[in-house]
Amino acid sequence: MLDVANLVIYGAVVSAISFLAVYFLTPPAIRSLAAKGKVVPDAHKRDKPSVPRPAGPVLIVGIAAAEIVLYALTMNAGVLAILLATVIAFAVGYIDDSRVMPGWFKPVALLAAAVPIVVLNLAHPGEVHSNDLYLIFGRAAIPLLYLPLIFVIIPIAGNTINSIDVLNGVASGFIIIATIPLLVSVAIFGSLEVFLAAFPMLFSTIAFYKYHKFPSRIFPGDSGTLLLGAMYGAVAVAGRSEIIGVIALLPAVMNSFLFLASVKRIVEHREVKARPTILMDDFKLAASSDKAAPATLVRLIVADGPLGEKEVGHKIFMLAIFTALLAFASIAIQYVILGR
Amino acid sequence: MIGVGLNSLALFMTGMWAMVLAVAAFLVLVVAPLEDILFAGHGDRIVVSIVQAAIAMVAVIALIFGLSRMKRVYLHKKLRQ
Repeated sequence: MLDVANLVIYGAVVSAISFLAVYFLTPPAIRSLAAKGKVVPDAHKRDKPSVPRPAGPVLIVGIAAAEIVLYALTMNAGVLAILLATVIAFAVGYIDDSRVMPGWFKPVALLAAAVPIVVLNLAHPGEVHSNDLYLIFGRAAIPLLYLPLIFVIIPIAGNTINSIDVLNGVASGFIIIATIPLLVSVAIFGSLEVFLAAFPMLFSTIAFYKYHKFPSRIFPGDSGTLLLGAMYGAVAVAGRSEIIGVIALLPAVMNSFLFLASVKRIVEHREVKARPTILMDDFKLAASSDKAAPATLVRLIVADGPLGEKEVGHKIFMLAIFTALLAFASIAIQYVILGR
Repeated sequence: MIGVGLNSLALFMTGMWAMVLAVAAFLVLVVAPLEDILFAGHGDRIVVSIVQAAIAMVAVIALIFGLSRMKRVYLHKKLRQ
């Protein structure tokens, strides 16, 4: 068990490593990617400027360095499981960044990111995850269901964050907002080691947001969004905060749900012919009137009238703050009923 | 009021949140104590777990159907589809 002094010191160390690594490595990564021609057009801007992609390698360096130091300090299996799940999700995303893969690839390949969580818990029972699901109003021991549930949570979390990466700065800003209630929940209901393990996700993303916010100087790519999403899921599982984690992610969950319910199969966005939004002459986004176009969060936001990309991103952040408040209300209910 | 044009989406999110809480409450209040309710506390552990798992999955599927229905009503209103 960590004492307060160690908690503060370790927290400061891992936060500083992840923040500074991403903050200082991203500019050279932008130059390197641009020099190699690894750029994609920013579709919602005048003249469609080329933006370097992916930032996943920079994010994984910052996060992995911090998690390795934390593991050396704590020797906690939960920290190692979160690190390995994140690295595997990064690898899956990097393959998808490097070559065109079919729609099923990401959800299926992300199953591998759940393996370290299950295997390390077999070696260190109870240190990575419990068999109890915290359900706001109580706990339920579900040993038969919990293992398959982990294999559902990690791919869904990864793909959910991946699917919200539609406009400049949205994925990184959204993760920052959603991570705050998750951190509070993990601190109350999970372990302090897992609480510390979530810091690199928050601080590396804060550093990354400086470069990803509107107008983006770099895109995270699938490697960046999948590693952040899978890490979010791994922290929620190891930190006994699965339901709180889902509630904080509701806008992104809604976006994925709307998209899947519209197209009725797992496909890449690029495979969908009818676009959910149209770009107007003044570079504002408007809702498509095409009945075949999938319903998405952005389409619903601009259904009331055309908006600029920055304004849409701001509205998504407002929704994320709203659901973060719902997550805090859920934490309060769970705390009153269950205690710590 | 969280912003122009966002109130209906916030209401939809609140509906989703309420449905998640309702399923969570059902799992805690009905499924978790199922051994006592159905088997008077003397059921076979594996059988009880399988029954609990089956009911929990049905509850989650019902949640997805509920969300789907709510989505249809919402989209019809919002996008006039």
